[in-house]
Amino acid sequence: MTETEVIRLFKCLSDKSRLQILKSLMIEDMYVERLAERLGITAPTVSFHLKKLAEAGAVSSYKSQYYMMYLMNREIFETSILELLKGKSDDADIQAQRDAEYRQKVIDAFFEYGKLKSIPSQRKKERIVLDVIADKFEADRTYTEKEVNLLIAEFYDDFCTIRRDMIAEKLLDRNMSGYWRVKSSEKEK
Amino acid sequence: MNEKIKQMNTYFENQIALCKQKEKDLLEDDRADEASFQKIRANVYDIFRTILSVAQNAGHDNSETVKYFFLEKTEQIPSNWKAAYEAAKQHDDVQKMLIEKIKLDTIYEIRDKFLNCWEKTE
Repeated sequence: MTETEVIRLFKCLSDKSRLQILKSLMIEDMYVERLAERLGITAPTVSFHLKKLAEAGAVSSYKSQYYMMYLMNREIFETSILELLKGKSDDADIQAQRDAEYRQKVIDAFFEYGKLKSIPSQRKKERIVLDVIADKFEADRTYTEKEVNLLIAEFYDDFCTIRRDMIAEKLLDRNMSGYWRVKSSEKEK
Repeated sequence: MNEKIKQMNTYFENQIALCKQKEKDLLEDDRADEASFQKIRANVYDIFRTILSVAQNAGHDNSETVKYFFLEKTEQIPSNWKAAYEAAKQHDDVQKMLIEKIKLDTIYEIRDKFLNCWEKTE
């Protein structure tokens, strides 16, 4: 487990309701309503906690007839805390991890269900947002302006601004025949 | 009319105090997420307490105008919450669904209380 995963797991476990859910799942696999009944909390609240537990890798689910059953991921709990502490990360890994976390944070803040909410005013953040959109362009393919606009419009209505900024950021390039995604090696030139 | 406003304000104050107490209890019981849900409920009560006071000023002490203004807001404001709930449901985002549900359940409760209070004292 990475440090981030360990921290997420510990944070997730520091909640009494979630611990009680895990205690119940130690006995047997259960569905949401059954857990809600056992613990005296509402089913939506149980679902909320189960989602957090699943994200931390503490529980999994499977379908059984009409019910979504939840089970405890025992291998996580069979790992000793000492083993978790032994995992070291070198500086490069830590930096890469921080960059990835920052990137994810920006994506979470500016995108909702795949749609861009607004264009970030900070250049660094806008670059991340544009990168996400650029990833949707196929490499080695030339797009017409209409195709570019349609592709960007899936993310944001103001496709003109995004298209212009992608050119400025050298994520897209163009000539008379159309637009294409700039490869990483070309960007560095 | 003043009696109705007074009753509603007492209700808002009691509900906010209750939420704060529950929030405190839940935090002491190491249930931080559920404590934050109580904060969300308290915020909804607080928003509609303010709206009632705005309705009172806008209605110039006319009971029907105040009623119309307040009920209109109980429809307008949660429309974004309903949309957010539906969007979350479509994407199976249970965390957001729960937060929006708490806000919607609270406003339905406030609306019922308001109607009950207004009709009872009419």
